[in-house]
Amino acid sequence: MSALPTAVVAHPKSVPASPALILRSSEFRRGREESWRELEALIGRAERRGVRALSAEELQRLPLLYRSTLSSLSVARSIALDRNLLLYLENLTLRSFLCVYGPRTSVLEGLLDFFRQGFPSAVRTVRWHFALALICLLVGVIAGFWLTLVDEAWFSALVPSALASGRGPSSTRTSLLDDEIFAPWPGPAQAFVAMSNVLFQHNTMVGILTFSLGVAAGVPTVLLLVYQGLGFGAFMALHYNRGLLGDFIGWVAIHGVTEFGAILLCGAAGLAIADRILFPGRYGRVESLALNGRMAAQVAIGAMLLFFGAGILEGGFRQLVASTPLRLLIGAATGLAWSLYFMRAGRGSPK
Amino acid sequence: MTTGHELASTFLDGGGRSRRELMTPEGVPLTVDLADYGERAVAFVLDFVLCSAATALIYLLFILLPFGGTTGIVARSLVLFIAFVVRNFYFIHFELSWQGATPGKRMVGLRVVDRRGGPLVPSAVVARNLTREIEAFLPLGLLQSPMGSGGASWEELSLGLWLLLFAALPFVNRDRMRAGDLIAGTMVVALPRRVLLGDLVESAVRYSFTDKQLRAYGAFELQVLEELLRRPAGADTKRLLREVCEKICRRIEWSTPLPDAEIGGFLREFYTAERAFLEREQLFGKPHPDKHYPSNATGSGPPLG
Repeated sequence: MSALPTAVVAHPKSVPASPALILRSSEFRRGREESWRELEALIGRAERRGVRALSAEELQRLPLLYRSTLSSLSVARSIALDRNLLLYLENLTLRSFLCVYGPRTSVLEGLLDFFRQGFPSAVRTVRWHFALALICLLVGVIAGFWLTLVDEAWFSALVPSALASGRGPSSTRTSLLDDEIFAPWPGPAQAFVAMSNVLFQHNTMVGILTFSLGVAAGVPTVLLLVYQGLGFGAFMALHYNRGLLGDFIGWVAIHGVTEFGAILLCGAAGLAIADRILFPGRYGRVESLALNGRMAAQVAIGAMLLFFGAGILEGGFRQLVASTPLRLLIGAATGLAWSLYFMRAGRGSPK
Repeated sequence: MTTGHELASTFLDGGGRSRRELMTPEGVPLTVDLADYGERAVAFVLDFVLCSAATALIYLLFILLPFGGTTGIVARSLVLFIAFVVRNFYFIHFELSWQGATPGKRMVGLRVVDRRGGPLVPSAVVARNLTREIEAFLPLGLLQSPMGSGGASWEELSLGLWLLLFAALPFVNRDRMRAGDLIAGTMVVALPRRVLLGDLVESAVRYSFTDKQLRAYGAFELQVLEELLRRPAGADTKRLLREVCEKICRRIEWSTPLPDAEIGGFLREFYTAERAFLEREQLFGKPHPDKHYPSNATGSGPPLG
């Protein structure tokens, strides 16, 4: 309690603690504020109208200003206690960081690049998961076929009534031929819009579930794949018992190659995710998932587009082509095209 | 050690914000505020309304075109299909070209960022948005699909359970990620625009304070005082300032009485002197996070001045 406070009026020299009161942080701010304001204006425009709204010189200035503001932030953190200044710099650097390192592609460029490069190479990375998914599906098909072949009552247990739509143990050879395999074409609006869309919606939902439930360690993915196989196997047995197996396969092949390909891709992606969750390796589960999840998601997204193609083929064209050999030919051709695409596209070119 | 700046942020925001650190490629850590659940919900609703409006508009265009019968199942399919394309295009397009913001997110002040501080890559944007199909639109689709009628089957029940799990996901992880964020390695942060206000430093010196008086407070109290001085003028602010001024005078044993008109100027000068003192101390490697920090002021070297 030695120095009692005193009110000193207008004589700063008398107390050494506060001479002219030149604050380093204020000087620092005075020297840099102009470039912060410039960066703020640039970022504001880029946020409102996109990076493309900036001119060439401004685009050149942007990273320079960003780095100098970043270093301002570092300095300010060690010398300044002005809360508003610190918050402002933190905010400005974060905004410009997102702008400088933000995505540069438009949707169309992204899509094009995706089809040339991303999708086929992502599919190639999950080829072992694809093989595993194929095995699951085949196990289902064989089991479903076997069960229904022995006892047709299994059909109604394996195929939900909405999918069976009247077909079942009571169907005869002629009813299957007329109402299903060679049913008349319902006309463009009904076929392309309604039918394709219902099929697409149904298929994508199955595909999305198959993919995303990979998060649950892959068990639901495997179950869904086997379940899809079971239903298909049951259908095969039903037609086999009526001597229609060849025609049925032709009827399915026209879109089925694409559709089953898409389901298998979704399954493969789901299993790849499950793989990361079960065996995260060097990283934590969440990091490992983030590192590999994008690749799996690319596969699943591509599969959605395959489903779209399959929906068009199934709803629109299937009933237009009323000959089994021709249908088989189309099916084989699509299968060949897809395999070539996945094996060859985007290979060798730099990533 | 927590700095005074962090203490002040926690105190002034009521501790409601969860903060994370992003490391930029340049090696400077940036602090980000995680978005609240409410903010994200509002942004999503806004985006959903915009998407629906766009869908309706495109559907109207289709109806006006001579395009076959648009009744019953055809119309419904058309709407569903347009909605599917529109919403995916919408989210992906805006998050790509607006640096991680959609119109709804921009209105609320949210951004999608890479969780590890890297660039936000297109495949991450695409992945996080397509996963939304399962989280939000699958239940909507199932509600109106033809398979949805006919009582609750075990399939629908199990689907419902999965959807609940997905909806609950952001509430059970600390970065508030939904499944799409988890897969894409992203998180959603609140990024309101901040403005640089004027410096509060007062150049005119009418009062002066000793180091001993200035040692009474730390950076935390300084920044709270700054926030107080930046409040818009009013009767409420005036009352607060007077209370704070009295407290400060008592603590630093300032005996000269201050008239009401002088309070603002006195506080600003005290702020300036305190900030000059604390910044100097910090530069010499002796930071004072708050007033409790150096419990024995004489313990750390000879007192200055």
